[in-house]
Amino acid sequence: MKKKEGNRFRAWKNNLYALRLGWQMAPGAIVHMAVSRVLGYFEWLFYSAFFMRYVINAMETEQEVSSILIFLGITVTVFALTSLYQNYLNGKVMPIMNAQIHKKLNLRLFEKATNVELSCFEDSGFYNRYTLATENAANKLIETIQNIWGVIFGVIAAGAAFYLMYDVDKLSVLFVLFPIIGNFVFNRGLSRIDFDRNKDMAPYNRRIAYINRVMYLADYAKEIRLTDVFALMRRDYREAIKGVADVTRKYTPKAMVLHWFRVMFTFTFIFEGVLIYGAYRTLVNHSMSLAQLAVLTSMMVSSTWILIGFTESLVTSFRNGLFVDNLRTFMEYEEKIPEDYQGADPGNKIESIEFRNVCFSYKDKEVIRNLSFELRGGKTYALVGHNGAGKSTIIKLLMRFYDPSSGEIFLNGRNIKEYELQKYRRLFATAFQDFQIFSLSVMENVLMRKGTPEDEAEVVRALTLAGVYDKVQTLPDGIHTILTKEFAEDGAVLSGGEYQKIVVARAFVQQCPVKIFDEPSSALDPIAEYNLFESILQDGKDKTMLFISHRLSSVQNADWVFMLENGTIIEQGSHRKLMQGKGAYADMYEKQAVNYLAADVASVQGSIFVADKEVAE
Amino acid sequence: MKQVWNNHLFLWKLCFKTAPGYMIYNLYDGFRHQIMIFLEHTIGIRYVLHCAEYGEPFYKALLGIGIILLLNMLQIIPDGYFIHAMTYRMKPKLYRALKERMYEKAAELDLSCYDDPKYYNEFVLAVAEAESSIDRFIAFSNSSMQSLTIVFSTGAFYLMTDSVSVLFVGVSFILSFLLGKRLNKLNYQVRLKVNPWERKRNYAGRVFYLNDYAKELRLNPEVAKLLKEDFIEANDKIIEEQKKISGKRVGLSFLRNYGVSDFITDGLYVGYLVLQAAVFHTIDYSNAVVLFNRTGNLRNGMRGLAEIGPAANENSLYIDKIRTFLAYEPKMKQGSGEKVPEGTGCLELSHVSFRYTEDAKETLHDICLKVEPGERVAIVGYNGAGKTTLIKLLMRLYDPTDGSISYHGRNIDRYLLSEYRSRVGVVFQDFKMYGASLLENVVLNDVGDNAGEEAAVTAALCQSGFEERLRSFPAGLSTQLTTEFDEQGVNLSGGESQKVAIARAFYRQADILIMDEPSSALDPIAEYSLNKAMHDAALNKTVFYISHRLSTTRDADRILMLEKGRIIEEGTHEELLRKNGKYAEMWYAQAGKYTA
Repeated sequence: MKKKEGNRFRAWKNNLYALRLGWQMAPGAIVHMAVSRVLGYFEWLFYSAFFMRYVINAMETEQEVSSILIFLGITVTVFALTSLYQNYLNGKVMPIMNAQIHKKLNLRLFEKATNVELSCFEDSGFYNRYTLATENAANKLIETIQNIWGVIFGVIAAGAAFYLMYDVDKLSVLFVLFPIIGNFVFNRGLSRIDFDRNKDMAPYNRRIAYINRVMYLADYAKEIRLTDVFALMRRDYREAIKGVADVTRKYTPKAMVLHWFRVMFTFTFIFEGVLIYGAYRTLVNHSMSLAQLAVLTSMMVSSTWILIGFTESLVTSFRNGLFVDNLRTFMEYEEKIPEDYQGADPGNKIESIEFRNVCFSYKDKEVIRNLSFELRGGKTYALVGHNGAGKSTIIKLLMRFYDPSSGEIFLNGRNIKEYELQKYRRLFATAFQDFQIFSLSVMENVLMRKGTPEDEAEVVRALTLAGVYDKVQTLPDGIHTILTKEFAEDGAVLSGGEYQKIVVARAFVQQCPVKIFDEPSSALDPIAEYNLFESILQDGKDKTMLFISHRLSSVQNADWVFMLENGTIIEQGSHRKLMQGKGAYADMYEKQAVNYLAADVASVQGSIFVADKEVAE
Repeated sequence: MKQVWNNHLFLWKLCFKTAPGYMIYNLYDGFRHQIMIFLEHTIGIRYVLHCAEYGEPFYKALLGIGIILLLNMLQIIPDGYFIHAMTYRMKPKLYRALKERMYEKAAELDLSCYDDPKYYNEFVLAVAEAESSIDRFIAFSNSSMQSLTIVFSTGAFYLMTDSVSVLFVGVSFILSFLLGKRLNKLNYQVRLKVNPWERKRNYAGRVFYLNDYAKELRLNPEVAKLLKEDFIEANDKIIEEQKKISGKRVGLSFLRNYGVSDFITDGLYVGYLVLQAAVFHTIDYSNAVVLFNRTGNLRNGMRGLAEIGPAANENSLYIDKIRTFLAYEPKMKQGSGEKVPEGTGCLELSHVSFRYTEDAKETLHDICLKVEPGERVAIVGYNGAGKTTLIKLLMRLYDPTDGSISYHGRNIDRYLLSEYRSRVGVVFQDFKMYGASLLENVVLNDVGDNAGEEAAVTAALCQSGFEERLRSFPAGLSTQLTTEFDEQGVNLSGGESQKVAIARAFYRQADILIMDEPSSALDPIAEYSLNKAMHDAALNKTVFYISHRLSTTRDADRILMLEKGRIIEEGTHEELLRKNGKYAEMWYAQAGKYTA
C-alpha cells in the first residue's frame, strides 16, 4: 500500500513536470486549455442548475414573459461569445499550437537523442522506455496537459455540482454517494479484473498477432507454399482462441456481479432514488417546488457524468504519468560520453593509435578481453576473425561510441577521452556494414552535409571510385536525385549492392587522415568486390587505413593483419609471416583458398604464398 | 448500393452462422440501451414532474419509478454476461471464422500476388484488416439499432407531445449535418495538404530516434543539421497550411456548433416552449422541461440515423477487399493433378522465359536445360542475373511465361502441386524461423504428439551439422525457438538458423535439393564445414547450388553462368576456364589474389 502511495505521488509529480515542460514551450496554449475547460464546465452547470430553475420559477411566479425572453436573450448572447471563443480555439489556436509544440519538443528530443552515447540505444531497457517516450510525444504531452486541467477543474465542478444540489435540497446531495461508490469501489474492481484478464490473455493474443503476421507478410509466403507450416499455424491459432475463451470463463461470474453493482450504484440508484425522493418532498412534504424538482432531475444527471469524467481523467493521469516518467528519465539522463564534450584539439595528423589493455563488456558479456595493439600513421591494417570475434566492437571503441570497461585508448600518445569528441571523430572516415541511406540527394548522402557546386567534382570522383557512378548517371537528376521513396514519389530506389557502394563513397569523399571500412563488400558480387578493393587501396595509399573483411584474399595487401578470436588478438603480423606461422590465420586462409588453388597445386606447390607476398610488397 | 447491401449480408451470414446468439443479442443490446434511457429520462422524469405538477398521490409516482427501477435491475443482469463473457468469447470465434478462410486463401495465393505491390497492399493487407472489419460491423449494427430506437421512442414522444418541437430539432439537425459535411471537406483538404509535410516530419523523427541511424548521426553531425532544417521547415509549412484555412474553419464550426445548434435549441426553442407554456398554455411545465432536456438526445439519434449510410459505405469498402481476396482464383491449383512417379527423375526446361509482371522486362529468357537424376548443377552469375528466379520456377512458385518445365517426362503443371513441391527441398537465402519447437521448425507441419518423427529429425539435424548444438539443449527437440512467446526460447545465431533451414531440406527426403547461397551468413571456417556436410548429405540427389563464391561450386558436374536472364556459358569448371569467357573472368577476379 505504501508503495502504491509512492507511485501516486510520483505520478502527480510527473504530471506537474509535463505542465512545466508545456509552459516552457507554449504558455499561451496552456492558459487557453485551462480557460476552455473552465468555460465548458461553467456552461454545463449553468444550464442544468441555474437556467431551468430561473425559467420555471419565473413562469410559476407568473413573471412577465418579456422578462423571461430578455433573460433568454442575455444567455444566448453570453454563450454565443463563449462558443465563439471555443471554436476559435479549436479551429485556429490549437492546430497551430500543436505544430509549435511538436516542433519545439522534438527538437529538444533530437538534441538529446544525438547527444546520449550509443550504448543507450543498445540497452533494450533504456531503448524501450525511450521509444515509448518519443513516440507521438507532442500529442501525448498536449493530452497530458488537457487531462491535468480535466482533473483539477473536474474536482471543482463536481464540488460545485454537489453544492448546487445541496442548495436545492440539503438531503438530496446524499444521493451522490451512490455514484461515488459505484465509481470508486465497483468500477475500480472492474478495472482490476480487466487488467488481470488482459494479462492472462496477453500470451494468447501475442500468438494470434504473430500468426497473423506470418500469414500476410511476404517474407513467409514462399515457405508457406513449399511446406505444411500452415497446418502448424492453424493448430496454434485454434489453441490460442481456446485459451482466450478459457481465460474469459475464469473472470465471468465476478465481473458480472461487479458490473451489476457498478451500473446500479452509478446510475440507477441515484436516478430512481432522487426521483422518488423528489416526488416525496413535493407531493407529501410539499417542501419542494416544481422548479426545484426539475433542477434536481437534471442535476442528478450532470453530477453523475461530471463524477465519471473526473474518475476517468484521474485514471488517465496515472497512465500519462508513466509516459511523462519515460520522457523525463530520458531528458534528464546524464550522458556518459556527451557528444558535445569539449576537450583538446586532436590536430590533423596521426602518428599512432594505441589500445592498451582494453576490456569491454557488453550486457555482462565480455566482448573485448585485455586487448593491446598499436597502429602507426600511414599504414594499412586488416582485422580478420570469426563472426562475433569483436571486430566491429573495436571500431566502435575507436570511434568512441563506447568507452572501454577498463584499459585505455591513445591517439598520438594522449587518451582519446581528453579530446574534443566531435573534432576527434572527424579524424575518421568510416563505412559501416550496417549502413543507412538517408532520404536526401545522392550528393548529400555521400557528403553527409549540404553540398555546394564546388563539391560536385569530388562527389563524382568518390562515386566513380566506389563503382556506382555509372548507375547514378542513369538517374533522372544524376547526383541530385533524391534517394528512397520515403516522401519523394520520384525518389530513386537502388539495389542493396548499389547502396553499399554509395556508403563506401562517403569514406572516399571525406579527406580524413584515417579511413575505416567494415566489410565494405558484403553485398557485392565478385567483380564488383574486386574492383572495390582496388579502389580502396588506391585511395588509401598515404593514409592510415583499417579494414575488416571476411574475404581473406583482400587482406594480403595490408601492411599488417590482426587475427581476432574471442575479443583478443591471437596472431598478428604481415600476411606472409602469418602464413609461415601456420596458425589460425593460415588455417582460415587455406580453407578459403583451397578450392581456388586446387587446380594449380601441381604446378605452383606450397611456395605460392611466398611468391605472392613478395610481388605485392 | 446493392454492393453495399450484399457486402453487409455476407458478413452478417458469416457471423450469424458462427455465433447466432451473440449477433441477435448485439442488436437487442442497441435497443435495450436506448429504450432504458428513454424510460428513465423521458418517461420517468416526465411522469414524476407530471405527478408533482398536478398533485397526484405519492404512491403513483412511487409505483411508476418502482417499475423502472425493477426493470433496470433485471435488464443489467444479462448485460454483464454480454460484456464480460459473450463478447470476449464470441469475437475471437468470429475472427477465426473469417480469418481461417482468409489464411487458407493466402496460403494458396499465387506468389506473384506478393510481387505486385498494388495487389499486395489492396488484398493481402485485407487479412490484417479482418478483425477490425468484424469489430466495425458489430459496432455498426449496435449503433444503428440505437439510433433507430431513439428516433422511434424519443421521436414518437416529441410528435405526441408537441409536433412543432420536432421541427426545431429537425431543422437544427439538418443544418448542422450540412455544415458538418462542409467542415469535413475542409478538414480533409487540409489533411491532404499537410500529409506530405507530416510524412517528412515523421521521417526526421524516425531517423533521430531509431537505433539504425544512431551511429551515422554521431559521425556526421552535419547530416543531423540538414534533417533538422527539413523538420523545422515541415513544421512551419504545417502551421502555414493551418493558418490559411483557420478563418474559414472557425466560421464554419461556430456556425455549426452554435449558430444552428445551441442557438436554435437553447435560445429559439426555449423561447418557443416558454411562450407555449406560459402564454398559450398548450404545453404543461413538466412536458416543457422534458422536451427541452431531451433535444440533445433526439438530435444524436437523428445524427446516428444519418450516418448509417456513410458508415455502411465505408465498411463496405473494407468488406469488398476481403471478398475480392476470398474470391481470387489462384492460377496454380493445389488440389488436382497426377501423382509424381517414384524416384529421382530427369528435369528438363525447354525455352523457358519469365517476367514478373506483364509490363516488366524479362527476368529469364529462353532457358533450355536438361538435368539428369543425381546431377549436381551450380548456377552462378552477377547480382540480378536471374538465378533465384530460375529456382523459383523449378519449385513451381511461378509458372513460366513461355516454355515449359518437365519432370519425369511430364510437364510439372500436370502434377499435384503439393506433391511435386514436397519432392523438392530448398534452402533459401531468406528462410525464417518460427515461434515453435525445434522439431516443428524442421518438420514444418503439425505433428501432433507423434514422436515417430524424432529419429528422422535428429538425423536431418546431424547431417546439417547441428548435432553439437542440439546436444546442448536440455529440452532437446522440444526446445522452443525464438523468444517470441517463450522467455526461455532460444534465439539461434545466423549460422545456426541456416543449419536448421538446411535440416528442413534433408528431412523431407526430397529428390531435388536446391541451395540458394546457403553459406552467405557464415564466416569462412563455418562455410567450409557446412559445404562439406552438404556435399555428403546430397549424394544421390539432383542438386542445384547458387553461389557467389565460385570456390564452393567449382566441383559441380555442370556450371551455368547466367547473365541478364540467359545462360551464357555452360560446362565444367575446367571447360569454362578453357573457354576464357565471363566465367573465367569472374573466377580470376575472385581467385586472383589467392593464386596470383
